[in-house]
Amino acid sequence: MIETGIPKLDDYLLGGIPEGKSLVYYIYPGVEGNVFGMQTMYHTVSNGRYGVYVASSTDPRMIREQFDEFGWNTDECGDRFIIVDAFSGLIGADSRERYVVSDPEDVNDLTQCIKQAMEDLDGPGVVVFESLSTIMDLCGEFETLDAIEEWNQYAMLYDHAMVYNFTAWPYSEDTLLHIKEDICNSAISVGGISERVIFGQYFGILKADWMDVPRKCVLFKIVRPGGIRVYIPKILVTGPFNAGKSTFVHALSNRAVSVDRLGTTIALDHGHIDYRGFTADIFGTPGQERFDPIVKLLSGEAMGVFLVLDSTNAADFVRGKRMLEITMSFGLPIVIIANKQDLQGALTPEEIRKKLSMPTNVPIMPAIATNRDGVFEAFETLVDMVMEVD
Amino acid sequence: MLGKVLSDLGKIGEIEASAIATRDGLLMNADMHVKGDPETFVAMSATMLGAAETATSELNKGIPNRVIVETDDGKLVCMGAGPKALVVVLTAPEAGLGLILVELTKAAEKIKKLI
Repeated sequence: MIETGIPKLDDYLLGGIPEGKSLVYYIYPGVEGNVFGMQTMYHTVSNGRYGVYVASSTDPRMIREQFDEFGWNTDECGDRFIIVDAFSGLIGADSRERYVVSDPEDVNDLTQCIKQAMEDLDGPGVVVFESLSTIMDLCGEFETLDAIEEWNQYAMLYDHAMVYNFTAWPYSEDTLLHIKEDICNSAISVGGISERVIFGQYFGILKADWMDVPRKCVLFKIVRPGGIRVYIPKILVTGPFNAGKSTFVHALSNRAVSVDRLGTTIALDHGHIDYRGFTADIFGTPGQERFDPIVKLLSGEAMGVFLVLDSTNAADFVRGKRMLEITMSFGLPIVIIANKQDLQGALTPEEIRKKLSMPTNVPIMPAIATNRDGVFEAFETLVDMVMEVD
Repeated sequence: MLGKVLSDLGKIGEIEASAIATRDGLLMNADMHVKGDPETFVAMSATMLGAAETATSELNKGIPNRVIVETDDGKLVCMGAGPKALVVVLTAPEAGLGLILVELTKAAEKIKKLI
């Protein structure tokens, strides 16, 4: 298996791309999708395997800079990071790369170079195409389609994985369909949610012929440095007064701000977390009843909810349940945080479940937000639940 | 398209940041010329506008047309753009409020139609 290095995608693909198979990132125009191929390339190379990057629309030096932007140092990978330069020939520039396509507009010339690079690799690796669409523009649609079949066969022979970035410009219907459905072993669509005027970007598996395809769509965000992160636009943190909601938001976040007066949140806490390939924005609500109108206002469109409870204060549990109603959380993934486990008299999660009469499908997790105990476990649990929903 | 609305707003000058968000504080688009986190900027703006609406409507004084915040270093104006969205700008201290309000109202109308 060759991992794609895209969070969640490898899980869905049962580990990655099997050796000898091909994958196309089918990117809708307007979406910054080429990062997918780059991330797969860097992930493979940094894991000690070989990667060939076919540069067709950018100067190889610029490509190294692009990788640098994400914090991916290509120099450290030494000769495992290989570039096939199919760009310099276009502008008549000199190239310092080992593989240079002298005439990038001639698909046979390109094939020759790619084959040579594949043969030279010392063990299975990945061949990533910076932009298949550019090659198609230069060499012609049909010529390129034929060539892809040849490249894929060759990859099978040498057990390499092929990865194509393809931007779905308005080529002929047949070509688009062919790329989406036939020519590669698997296809990943990368698009923008446009019904609501580009709100986010998503990816989903269209096809993978070695498994049953899960019907999942994952929102993502591109961060620099870092690359592609699974993105959850809103996670709500709610609960009764003095349960430790703000502390929880701050414990979880890489950076967070709060509007606090006299020791209590009056507007909201807003935090941002970047953790193991996931990124999320976290909204913490005030707990006191007089702020309920604001709570209602801010809780729309949440994808998951944390209900933070003070484990030593059973009297407030009813208020906690009431806050789930106010935030209209029922039906969303909910994780209950049994906070302040370090204090005397703290109830165990099971005791709390009984008092709340919560069904067992709502996890109740122990935590001590003041020293970050349990907060990341809770985050992982909630994220898994959010990912299951789609 | 929302980006175009914001870049048009930016052309009137002295605008240091502008953003469009949902009423519940999710960022839809931002045009930032100052360093900062647009997500937090819009989340707080949405809270402010929402709190202002609750404060006035509680006393039957209707819905505010806008929220204006003045500091020594600039102004922040936040305005609803239809029932689902809002638009917010941050300006330099010397910026004239009149022109900004006119342009912001126009932008809000456009956003309302786009969403």
